[in-house]
Amino acid sequence: MHEPRDGRHAITETLPETPQEVTEKVLHNHLATGPLFRVAAVFCGVLLLLGVVGFILRVAGGFDDRTKWGYYGAIFFYILTTAQAAPIVSVAMRMAKNHWRRPLARAAELYAIVGVLNLLIFIPLLFVLPSAAGRRSLWLDGAARMNAGGSGWPPLAPHLWIALMLAGLVFLGLALLYTAALPDLATVRDHSTSKRHSMLRRLTLGWRGTPFQWRAHRAALGVLGGLYFMFYISTHSFIAIDYGVALVPGWKDSIFPAFQVLSSLQSALAITLVTMFFLRQTGGYKEFFYVDPFWALSKILLATTILWFYFWWASFFTFWYGRTQAEQNVLQLLMFGPYRPLFILAFLFSFLLPFLLLIWNAVRKSILGPTVAAALVLAGNFFDRLRVYVASFSVEDIRAHQLESVPAAHLPDGADILIILGALGGLVLFYLVGTRLVPVLSMWELKEYLTLRRIRPFLKTHVRVMAKPE
Amino acid sequence: MQERRPLSDVQINKALLRNVLAAPLWFWGLVLLLALVVAAGAGAAGWMFNRGTGVLGVNRPAMWGFLIVNFVFWIGISHAGVMLSAILRLAYAEWRRPMVRAAEVLTVFSLMTAMLMPFIHSGRPWRLAYWAFPYDFARGIFPNIRSALIWDPSAVFTYLISSSLFILVTLLPDIAVIRDRTTGIRHKIYSAMALGWRGTPRQWRLQGIAGILLSAIILPIFVSVHSIVSWDFGMAVSVEGWHATIFAPYFVIGAVLSGVSAVVTLMALMRWLFKWEDHIREEHFDAMGRLLVVIATAWFYFFAMEFMFGLFTLEPQEVALRQLQVFEWPWSALFIIFILTAYFIPVPLWLFRSVRRNVAAMFWISIMVNIGMWLERFIIIVPGLLRKQPFTFVWGSYRPSPIEIIIVAATFCLVALGILLFSKVFPLVPLAEAKEGQILADQIKVGKKTIPAVMREE
Amino acid sequence: MARREVLGLFRDAETAAGATTVLHEAGVRQDDIEVLTGAPYPEGAFGEHIKRHRIYLFPMIGAICGFTVAILLTAGTQLAYPVVTGGKPILSVPPMVIITYEGTLLGAILFTVLGVVFESRLPRGKIGLYDPRITEGFIGLVVSCAADQWLAVEQALRRAGAFEVKHEQA
Repeated sequence: MHEPRDGRHAITETLPETPQEVTEKVLHNHLATGPLFRVAAVFCGVLLLLGVVGFILRVAGGFDDRTKWGYYGAIFFYILTTAQAAPIVSVAMRMAKNHWRRPLARAAELYAIVGVLNLLIFIPLLFVLPSAAGRRSLWLDGAARMNAGGSGWPPLAPHLWIALMLAGLVFLGLALLYTAALPDLATVRDHSTSKRHSMLRRLTLGWRGTPFQWRAHRAALGVLGGLYFMFYISTHSFIAIDYGVALVPGWKDSIFPAFQVLSSLQSALAITLVTMFFLRQTGGYKEFFYVDPFWALSKILLATTILWFYFWWASFFTFWYGRTQAEQNVLQLLMFGPYRPLFILAFLFSFLLPFLLLIWNAVRKSILGPTVAAALVLAGNFFDRLRVYVASFSVEDIRAHQLESVPAAHLPDGADILIILGALGGLVLFYLVGTRLVPVLSMWELKEYLTLRRIRPFLKTHVRVMAKPE
Repeated sequence: MQERRPLSDVQINKALLRNVLAAPLWFWGLVLLLALVVAAGAGAAGWMFNRGTGVLGVNRPAMWGFLIVNFVFWIGISHAGVMLSAILRLAYAEWRRPMVRAAEVLTVFSLMTAMLMPFIHSGRPWRLAYWAFPYDFARGIFPNIRSALIWDPSAVFTYLISSSLFILVTLLPDIAVIRDRTTGIRHKIYSAMALGWRGTPRQWRLQGIAGILLSAIILPIFVSVHSIVSWDFGMAVSVEGWHATIFAPYFVIGAVLSGVSAVVTLMALMRWLFKWEDHIREEHFDAMGRLLVVIATAWFYFFAMEFMFGLFTLEPQEVALRQLQVFEWPWSALFIIFILTAYFIPVPLWLFRSVRRNVAAMFWISIMVNIGMWLERFIIIVPGLLRKQPFTFVWGSYRPSPIEIIIVAATFCLVALGILLFSKVFPLVPLAEAKEGQILADQIKVGKKTIPAVMREE
Repeated sequence: MARREVLGLFRDAETAAGATTVLHEAGVRQDDIEVLTGAPYPEGAFGEHIKRHRIYLFPMIGAICGFTVAILLTAGTQLAYPVVTGGKPILSVPPMVIITYEGTLLGAILFTVLGVVFESRLPRGKIGLYDPRITEGFIGLVVSCAADQWLAVEQALRRAGAFEVKHEQA
């Protein structure tokens, strides 16, 4: 370990010295399952079961009353924009070739597994979404029917297409996770015996780490990353339009899809930070999650937090200034009417509090500061999804020209609370299981880093030198 | 970076100060040429002030024409500058070094040019600027802060002051270099401007902090400027196609696209005119090309959202506007040129490494993008106004007059002239950045291969 | 006691960094050595220690000033000219947010710039011991010492590899 030197730019890196040590430490943690893990898994499992009970109660009430499905929809969107969004952190930072992403890349992309859970949660929502015929919809089908009464394009829009997009996103996430983890799975294979060994032998397709294989691996990650990015942005945009904007007449808010994408980026960073904190404190990975990754992520978290305000403001301000009845009613529905408490909470937790915390470098350059800000953001996103989707699901006449009256607040019933608890429990459970299947640290990326960086004396100080291949 | 050639401080000084210490003949020829066109533009504006706005092509209901389009365009170009320099500084991007100053200077001159446009457009600037400045006390007139027309100057002037100060602060060490290389009256002037700079570690440290801190404060200003320009259009409900919530970020990202392209144009020109091949290298164009792919695609996303939401509501006015923009002559032709030159031609080209590393190709593509982005603003503004509304009884169209064309041409020369004159007084590539790059360059041996490396402090 | 400054010029950074060690051995304190370079070096490269600066305070103060002025100006304007425009309230807060935002950031920028100049200890009327070749890559070490010790310091500098030494009555 290098002695930190005096001054502001002390080298704070605490990674193991050699690639061998990285393998040793990660494998040690990966192959052992502690009591804390079992307790957490059982607890989350129980929550998930409760959620299933709540779900059965909800289905028994039928799909016709959209209002009743508001909280269910909101929790789907919550998972979509937090856990299921997390892999984008890994994809984006890998594209930007950041070095500080290396310890956290896998922790973020492992959330692709939660996508499977959310895909299941999504299926009932397809029955809740009304047909596009005769109403405003981004899909030409609905638009065409509204004008001419005939059939339009593409067939079965929006249901089939958003389902395909979401399934594609989940599939791409899993493919990305598998590809990124392949060299690490091979490492686990080489260090395990019996059943695990034979299973991994089939799964790793005979990976040996030849230069050719590494080149192919790199290219595959690039292509999958690019595809994932495109799917991510389009899926989020379209689903947000179909379940949000399109269900509220007069809500002509072209920034809303971008707002949802942005707020999912913010929450993806937040959930990654919180995960890093737990891996550091309870996962046995303390030396891998030193202050640099927290510091670097918190800067981007601050930027997205400011952008959250900017995007929200662009929408609010245009409506406030326009002052037509339709705009006033939409503002009432989403911000200042029945859901005002939720909006205030969302504003505080998604923007104001994390902003006031993160503008201080001392807070950013710590372990706890970014984690607290991230936890606030995750809470804020929850309130924000509730205020948007519970409100938009509660509008009765979606074929009206504009929102004529603002519906009253819809409060959650017992089933809703069970569903929310179950979904959150399921989220954590899926991730926990994921950590058992795939090493939660990207060993090959860390080893690559160790070969590319040196800590060298320079005149009377020490500096970190990074090689720049290619 | 990897293609850097080892250069001594003397060589760096000599190359980068060549134009400051002894400008070649072509320089003055170019200055004269540009000044002539600018004078023609001033003459055209003077003619318009004398004869009235009737000499412009504007006509009801399109009362905003080339001059306002050009205003938005130059505000857009001004975005590159500081945004590029700020983001790259904040990210500690090693390849920022040769272009930060040029980008910032481009910002300042294009902002000044942009601000001329609405004043000229008003036809009687001295009588009408009271919308922005409180001076007409005799009639009890004071700016209305509820109007977008007052937000706009407040943002633009904040941006202009900030970016000018930013340049001046980061110029200090370079002024000191010129001070040490000059004699006589020039030495005295540069000595005064250098404020007694000596290059102590504390001064260098504060330079580093200033770069980061000012970047962090200027970034939110830069976002607000073009947002507010978009709100000049988007706030009121009266023009249906403009009243969109996405307008602010859509304008900002469009500005970034055109601005960063303009920096590429400028980089190529600097490389050719000043023979700075050692400083502005192919790898820098490569990096800019990659960045532009991301920016252009983000812009396209916002463009698509804006367009789709225009159709989404099925309001007859909105649908009619899109119909006009896309399918009706001559706007349809302009629309096709715009979408091809702004996105569908450049982005596929930028995907190729060989194109990104070809300076001439990058130069021409960057100009093409800005043709597209100029047309984008034109298509938003002019057809946007050509709507048929109740209580509008005259429906003219818009055709730019020679006066407007001359003024627009002069603005391009004005910006170029400003940058050229700046390059006579101060270096366009920061010397300190170039020297620091040399100090931080290193090599690492991995196995049998020696890889270029760089020391990192952050 | 009167102080005197001695400037040693070095051709490269390695010699200059080594010279600080020689000077320490000759009894010069680190705080009495000032390094002059033509380009920024990584912090601590010459074993220097930068005294605390308060640059981060400046933007805060500037932002508070700008915020206050902008709030007073915008609120005052609206209340002093109570004309309803666009059906908006006389005291409309959202438009105030825009101008206040710009005012706050302008204040922050102005104070930051002042802060950078002030904390860099500029402007400096007399440049003091200096050599133009420093901006050509030479490294200067300015040593401040008791007036009667300058000869010892000069010898130490030459011993450490300085190719030229200048001095001045401080």
